[in-house]
Amino acid sequence: MTIVNFLIYFLIMVGIYALLAMSLNLQVGYAGLINFGQVVFFCIGAYTSSLLATKTGLPLLFCFLLAMIVSGFFGYVMSIPTKSLKSDYWAIATLAAAEVFRLVALNEGWLTGGPFGVMSIPQPLRFLFSMENYPLFYLFLVTLCVIIVFFALALITDSPFGRDLKAIREEEDLCLSLGKNTRKLKLEAMVVGGMVGGLAGALFAHYVTFISPENFWPIETFLLWAMIIVGGRGNHAGAILGAALIQIFNVSTRFIGEYVSLGSDSMASLRMVIIGFLIIIFVSYRPEGIIKEKKKVYDPRNIR
Amino acid sequence: MLKVKDLQKKFGNLRALDGVSIEVEADSVVGLIGPNGSGKSTLFNVVSGFYEKDGGEVYFKGERIDGLTPDAIAKKGLCRTFQIAKAPERLTVLENMLLAAEGQVAENPISALFARRRIARVERKNLEKAMDLLEILKLTELMNEYAGDLSGGQKKLLSLGRVFMRNPDMILLDEPTAGVNPTLTTQLIKVIRELQKKEHKSVLIIEHSMKVISSICDKVFVLNYGQVIAEGTPEEIQKNDKVLEAYLGGV
Ligand SMILES: Nc1ncnc2c1ncn2[C@@H]1O[C@H](COP(=O)(O)OP(=O)(O)O)[C@@H](O)[C@H]1O
Ligand SMILES: [Mg+2]
Repeated sequence: MTIVNFLIYFLIMVGIYALLAMSLNLQVGYAGLINFGQVVFFCIGAYTSSLLATKTGLPLLFCFLLAMIVSGFFGYVMSIPTKSLKSDYWAIATLAAAEVFRLVALNEGWLTGGPFGVMSIPQPLRFLFSMENYPLFYLFLVTLCVIIVFFALALITDSPFGRDLKAIREEEDLCLSLGKNTRKLKLEAMVVGGMVGGLAGALFAHYVTFISPENFWPIETFLLWAMIIVGGRGNHAGAILGAALIQIFNVSTRFIGEYVSLGSDSMASLRMVIIGFLIIIFVSYRPEGIIKEKKKVYDPRNIR
Repeated sequence: MLKVKDLQKKFGNLRALDGVSIEVEADSVVGLIGPNGSGKSTLFNVVSGFYEKDGGEVYFKGERIDGLTPDAIAKKGLCRTFQIAKAPERLTVLENMLLAAEGQVAENPISALFARRRIARVERKNLEKAMDLLEILKLTELMNEYAGDLSGGQKKLLSLGRVFMRNPDMILLDEPTAGVNPTLTTQLIKVIRELQKKEHKSVLIIEHSMKVISSICDKVFVLNYGQVIAEGTPEEIQKNDKVLEAYLGGV
């Protein structure tokens, strides 16, 4: 793999993880919903889109859209127990929900291909490009998605809806006392988060052209949390920065692996240990992350 | 306006509300006093839907509201504040005011994306109203401060500001002047009184200062051990033997 090819691959992965991190940030950083099962949206998006594409031959645009819709619907399903579960128990439920999905993908072979996964996933507009140029196009596609999602989420959070979410994060009872249907607001945050996560899953599946349950271990959720803890919550740029930094770290340790004689297994474990330390350091010394949530300041002269 | 009938609330063996019946007429300010632990805040919590009742009925504007969720009750126009003032830490004072404003648009992601013009228009109107209220509450200087950085008294003022932004038909105030300095307290009382005169709101207020009570309340209920032991005008209450006993007994 040449450096350029590798760089393109790296940037595409950063983009996909940036989408996932932004989605998680909407739930955690804005609404205060402790979701430990974020990978489930990635998984559902990837499987929905690739199964539709390989089994029904539906145009890929629709596969992507349906992936977002199905994943968004699952966001709705996941938000249902927020009514009856306290937030910490809900967090555990999300973790379990994600594992359930991975296990279904692993065991329902008739649909998902079981451990062998889904292979030969078609790629959007593949016929327009040569083998060498296609990754560049895909990078463009992913970047476009990141930009659109960034601005859409920015509009969504810079609104009375976004303000409600932040208020729920900090004082849910107050929101109730002001007549806000906090259940509905959380549900909406989960659906939007699910849709963005599903988009990331579809982009991933059609890029790597082969997915299996191996791609959707809970550790992925852990990485996403590391991204928003490091990058900063309550703003979308922080999620993108965090995604880039954690990916750079992942990749650089891969190169180090070539010089240090550690098995790839121990290397992978070591990587997680270091990310774990990174999280501890950030939580203790810079809990708000690198990019701090911005205070919304009004100029009194502009009000009247 | 608000009618509470034989309300019961138990915490384990403790009867926090033991058959409380009170009535607040439209367009009046009613006081609720009683020694600490007599069940005043519990009454607010049950009426506003935050605690489940163990018996009794609550009517608001002639409608049964017990059993409804807190947000549904608030939507009907019955709004409460908390004894320990709540303030979302990382929203500024002004954002807190806007958060509470009535008639907001775009409290969902779709309108947040597509109704930008309407959002801007309504926000602007709410901002003006918020600035007027902050002026009265002497919080203008702090408008861009995080609510989490305010003192307890300032948070109390902010909760009043939010309630005024919300503009409900009836307000339940839980010790609104605790921790607020005396000059401002006088000011606050004036504001509540004026608001009530001008907009004909009903107010039920928990308050320890007899001075405050006598200056704004038309009627007072006295609670002790979860029961109403007296009701009447502030003058009548101050002469009532049972009330004096309850307070002295509590000391
Ligand atoms: N959530 C609760 N759990 C258990 N006991 C409570 C709870 N809330 C209030 N109490 C008890 O109910 C009684 C009345 O409390 P409260 O309504 O706060 O009194 P007040 O507001 O009049 O000072 C007190 O004895 C208090 O300890
Ligand atoms: Mg109390």
